[in-house]
Amino acid sequence: MRGITKQNVGRTLLYIILTAIAIGFLAPVFVVLMNSFKGKFFITEEPFALPNSSTFAGLENYLSGLQKTGFFSAFGWSLFITVFSVIAIVLFTSMTAWYIVRVKNRFTKFLYYVFVFSMVVPFQMVMFTMTKTAGDLHLDTPWGIILIYLGFGSGLAVFMFSGFLKSVPIEVEEAAMIDGCTPLQTFFMVVFPILKPTAITVAILDAMWIWNDYLLPYLLIGSDYKTIPIAVQYLRGGYGSVDMGAMMAMLVLSIIPIVVFYLSCQKYIIKGIVAGAVKG
Amino acid sequence: MASISLKNIYKVFDDGTTAVNDFTLEIADKEFIILVGPSGCGKSTTLRMIAGLESISKGEMKIGDRVVNDIAPKDRDIAMVFQSYALYPHMSVYKNMAFGLELRKIPKDEIDKRVREAAKILDIEHLLKRKPRALSGGQRQRVALGRAMVRSPSVFLLDEPLSNLDAKLRTAMRTEIKKLHQRLGTTFIYVTHDQTEAMTMGDRIVVMKDGVVQQVDTPQNLYNKPFNMFVAGFIGSPQMNFLDATVKIRDNKIILALKNNELDVTEIFKDNQAVAEYKDKPVKMGIRPEDLTTDIGFVSKNHGRIITAKVDVYEHMGSETYLYLDYSGEKIIARVPSGDYDNSFVELGVKADKIHLFDPNTTQAIY
Repeated sequence: MRGITKQNVGRTLLYIILTAIAIGFLAPVFVVLMNSFKGKFFITEEPFALPNSSTFAGLENYLSGLQKTGFFSAFGWSLFITVFSVIAIVLFTSMTAWYIVRVKNRFTKFLYYVFVFSMVVPFQMVMFTMTKTAGDLHLDTPWGIILIYLGFGSGLAVFMFSGFLKSVPIEVEEAAMIDGCTPLQTFFMVVFPILKPTAITVAILDAMWIWNDYLLPYLLIGSDYKTIPIAVQYLRGGYGSVDMGAMMAMLVLSIIPIVVFYLSCQKYIIKGIVAGAVKG
Repeated sequence: MASISLKNIYKVFDDGTTAVNDFTLEIADKEFIILVGPSGCGKSTTLRMIAGLESISKGEMKIGDRVVNDIAPKDRDIAMVFQSYALYPHMSVYKNMAFGLELRKIPKDEIDKRVREAAKILDIEHLLKRKPRALSGGQRQRVALGRAMVRSPSVFLLDEPLSNLDAKLRTAMRTEIKKLHQRLGTTFIYVTHDQTEAMTMGDRIVVMKDGVVQQVDTPQNLYNKPFNMFVAGFIGSPQMNFLDATVKIRDNKIILALKNNELDVTEIFKDNQAVAEYKDKPVKMGIRPEDLTTDIGFVSKNHGRIITAKVDVYEHMGSETYLYLDYSGEKIIARVPSGDYDNSFVELGVKADKIHLFDPNTTQAIY
């Protein structure tokens, strides 16, 4: 009996701690959502008060935000850059990892360590030289930035794909070769489907990063092509004036797509973890 | 036509290890060949070279009349069953079996016909919609066999296909594979480290050690006439006993002098010139456990063919008992009728006509 009670107390305590952490994480999102429906003067006056009949502004903030920021164009560029960067990262790094894991020699070993090393280099360390080089190479376009995201994203992605591929028995690929697959068919019809859980994990991580990234697009293409984080930033006017209402509304709109993407894919992440843990 | 010819095949890996050393073998059409040996003997490498999954360092390999050294696995008209089954985890059983045919652009209804036919033979019709992860080990093995069958290849390669199954299932599948071979009438090449599998399934067995072929023969000949001590020790369970002996010729009698006993083998070896040449020289005497007997009738009639050894341990196997004996420091095993034995000395009759003699230096058989 005593054991059970002790266990219950422990569990209750755990729930309390986890709930507190969850509230801590969700509170800012809630505050932003709540304030997006309040008149802009009330946001700075009483940022934590719920909207009431006098402070409620309806969709006014959203409409003014959309108008001021050119949100749809920014959404389009964000979507374009995120989608194609993620596709490029998943496609090219999975193939690279396959090569690294299956072709074992000094070169691939070296290549692997280069990719792993690239993960520990902070962006801030290379950003100015990289921006300059990218400018010289005319990569300061939405198409060029995809290439740069591929470079920055490949370290972690190659690391994750390689880790998973090491657990995939090579016999499956040999069976495919005997069955009549060319190397490309082996990759796309057999290896890549097996990699799906890892591919989705990589896609989610990279999509969240690229969608929310401010610094790289700002440095590289910010003046010509605004992505959502840059467009939202432009709501800060000169002399410190900020249209808080519109900013809150745009922040809400900008997080919706990535939350939807995450929620629709998260079951695959869990599936991937289980498939790796259980034999067969 | 699916005869296979391997001529002086070598496999040397990049690090310089020679995995297969001068392998020469002619495999007839429809033959069931077993490659057997301890792990690391090169049997799997040989099979993988036949499959085209490993390159051939030297030598010539033909399937039918065609030299296949540089031909891709998919163009060799072979199918392979792997130890780990190697099913495609994201495809259903049906798709797993149909995949190879789809790649070869075989019409859909023909594929369907072949898959269902194979599924019927292997009794996996009810599993066709399942994914491999929802199958048991035995079922996965059947699917792997089915995937090979539907292709109707001219050569079937099987790489330790039963070693992941439990003992009971292994025995059952052994019979099924044998039946499958008879039914398909295709050349089978089967790799195993299990000598029971080798003995029960193969038309001919290739015994390998350290990349070198030791003997190629029928199961019966391997058992009765091993070429060397390795083959003699590897084939048969429990394994053959080896005792130090000296050949003596005295009063027109040929004697094998063991540590404590002398065996009169005149009748057996009297016309054997090879044995005579070993006069007063040491040899290794090989005798299988079942050729040592505790039968009173035999012992009383064969005074010159008795050894006395001390029982260390005995194991009841049900129908028989294995005696683990100590013969002046040499360990021997005898397979005797079941009964109770205590840890004392026993007299064992040696069936002289079953004696094998080996040169202790070359380990080659003298007789």
